Amino acid sequence: MEGQILPPESLTNEAIAERLTSTALESLKKRMIKKKPLIYLELNGCSGNIISLLNGQNPDFEYMLNSMVDLKYSNSLMAAEGEQAIDKLINAMDGEYILAVEGAVALKNNGLYNIIGNWDGKPLTGLQAAKMLGERASHILAVGACATHGGVSAAKPNPSQSVGLQRVLPDKNMIKLPGCPVHPDWFLGTLAHLLLYGEPETDNLDRPLMFYSTLIHDRCPRRPFFDRGIFAEKLGDKTCLFKLGCRGPVTRVDCPTRQWNGHVNWPIGDNTPCIGCAQFGFPDAMAPFISYDTTRVVKNE
Amino acid sequence: MSKRIVINPLTRISGFMEIDVTIDQNQVVDAKTKGNLFRGFEQMLVGRSPFDAVYFTQRICGICSAAHSMASSHALEDALNIEPMEQGNYLRDIIHCCEFLQNHIRHFYQYTVPDFVKIEQNSLFQTDHDDFRLPKNMNDRISQHYFDSLKFSRLAHQMLAVLGGKAPHNHGVFIGGITTQATAEKVVHIDSILVRIARFIDEKMIPDVYDIAHFYEDYFRMGGGYGNLLTYGAFNHYKELGTLYVDPLVSTMGSVETFDESKIQEKIDYAYFKSITNSNQPNEEVTEPDMDKEKAYSWVKAPRYKGLPFEVGPLARLILSGAYNNGISAMDRTIARVLETKKITEIMKILLQQLIPGVNVQKKYELPASSSGRGLLDTTRGALGHWLKIRDKKISFYQIITPSTWDFSTRDDQGYRGTAEEALIGTPIQNPDKPAEIGRILRSFDPCMSCATHVYSPGKQVKTIKVF
Repeated sequence: MEGQILPPESLTNEAIAERLTSTALESLKKRMIKKKPLIYLELNGCSGNIISLLNGQNPDFEYMLNSMVDLKYSNSLMAAEGEQAIDKLINAMDGEYILAVEGAVALKNNGLYNIIGNWDGKPLTGLQAAKMLGERASHILAVGACATHGGVSAAKPNPSQSVGLQRVLPDKNMIKLPGCPVHPDWFLGTLAHLLLYGEPETDNLDRPLMFYSTLIHDRCPRRPFFDRGIFAEKLGDKTCLFKLGCRGPVTRVDCPTRQWNGHVNWPIGDNTPCIGCAQFGFPDAMAPFISYDTTRVVKNE
Repeated sequence: MSKRIVINPLTRISGFMEIDVTIDQNQVVDAKTKGNLFRGFEQMLVGRSPFDAVYFTQRICGICSAAHSMASSHALEDALNIEPMEQGNYLRDIIHCCEFLQNHIRHFYQYTVPDFVKIEQNSLFQTDHDDFRLPKNMNDRISQHYFDSLKFSRLAHQMLAVLGGKAPHNHGVFIGGITTQATAEKVVHIDSILVRIARFIDEKMIPDVYDIAHFYEDYFRMGGGYGNLLTYGAFNHYKELGTLYVDPLVSTMGSVETFDESKIQEKIDYAYFKSITNSNQPNEEVTEPDMDKEKAYSWVKAPRYKGLPFEVGPLARLILSGAYNNGISAMDRTIARVLETKKITEIMKILLQQLIPGVNVQKKYELPASSSGRGLLDTTRGALGHWLKIRDKKISFYQIITPSTWDFSTRDDQGYRGTAEEALIGTPIQNPDKPAEIGRILRSFDPCMSCATHVYSPGKQVKTIKVF
């Protein structure tokens, strides 16, 4: 496939992020890359994606701020507060901007279950903000499971009637970065691609192929145990976690090679099953996360 | 003449919060803190596998996810009648220490510092007020530390991931302790980072907070509040080590006594919940969210201890452990958070020294048909409690009272304001059009409205809920 980075070996650890960062740096020197305005909207969620973003290493948050984007709005990080903060948000809509959204859109009570600020003396709901900002954005990134498909915010019985961003912006193209939370490289690497080369190649579910192309199971270091039928019986065992409910066989993302937090570990490396947090349908479609009894005979399947 | 000030959003916190204050003659005479987000976690948990609570409840909060894995593991151990091995406790508490370090470093540099230091590197840090008092060289130095600190909070999460798999939303903390074993490699990986973080705290963070305090000395006289302090205990009751930090204690009007969990109540008079009339099993009853309720103004309910509102968090812990006695104010709270960061590195060092390599603390756990349990412990922002019930091997009831529910509670039927609301009363506002004081005082509590407003709990007719 044109543009796809292969073979998988080149995706190990920091490879992609470093490749993109060094190219970005060079381009910046040659003035090929122009900082673009970014609006980072937090909606109905835990703000865990922006915390994960602060864990970015190459690039880190400082580089992102100084060399990649003009961060116009971020509830977690901006110094302004109240009306002045919302003014900044509204003013940013006048120009071109990339919109990144984390958290789901709460529909209940016409959006009033998630108020992100006051605008003109009235509550500005996440629902209003998502629609208004989404319509005018040059590019949209849905960041983390809640934004891509509702995620934990929409877990049954979904008391806030939360939905993914696409549901309130049905006609807009958006890049979806599922994960709970998103890995900083998935977000920053996608952002770098946008700035350098335009939208990255995505699959039919709008996920960038450079991160979400391959099943965890296909690159799992514990795959040899699976192939030989050696299975863990409890958390903490060092063999294949399939029978404890591992969702590696259905989850497409590069955790086995990239790993987390400076590339030091990941859930399966910690002797626990993958819970499919980067797969659409998380959490309900991936529950139960942990079971000790998946070896029962399954009927009607 | 009285004037109303509404700040919404209060930025640089986790989650969404509005503050509505009335000032008269440039002094705050009334205040309401409002949680502006609701997801309904406790309703979502009903019917799920009890084992899933550990990973599921972490999703309440991105900045303090490990805290919820700790409390739910404790609650499940209580319900399953499991006593973790001491090695399990040590390993799990080390993960918790890592989260304290990540959280406190970020809260101080990314959330608090922009209130007092004019960071000129980027337009993200433009403010409306201009009350910046530090000399230029000091201002520039601390601005640089804003960015330098990113490495250390990131490294704190890296230590967490060495034992916990990933962060935020770790996989390691579980019933019995954690899911991986100590090895020499992991211990030195963590210790080598810990040394660097401890140096950063000593050389940068502590001097920075005292420099800020020196130039904003009036904040030692603002944001005090009721002065009632509470902790469920932190890094305490080890079999051989005893208490490394603080035991479960409360202090009212300066008199300290042992904390008694049967004295907790939660009130919903001013929160967006309607109560149900029938109450055969009050703890099982589920209230409905109701945004049209008269008088209600927030998603945050009102926990009370012996009927009184309490402050929780680093300052409460330091004072109750006897390690701090300067006072209770916005600046004391911020200083306490920084001093506690250092304290946590010392605790973590001790815990690391206790580790025995290769001990697997995990077992194959059986679920009881029915049971109940609770997990109460202090975490970054203060006292956190999870209460759960199991029926037919599924969760039938889950209740969470977070630290920010204590600090940012709504008022109650007895006329008591919430802790942070009370802390604002009497605050002099220099410029009502650009009030810097309100945000500074509220942030000294480190509000986590993601946590405070994601809870959903039972009510009954009298609108007072006794928690077990």
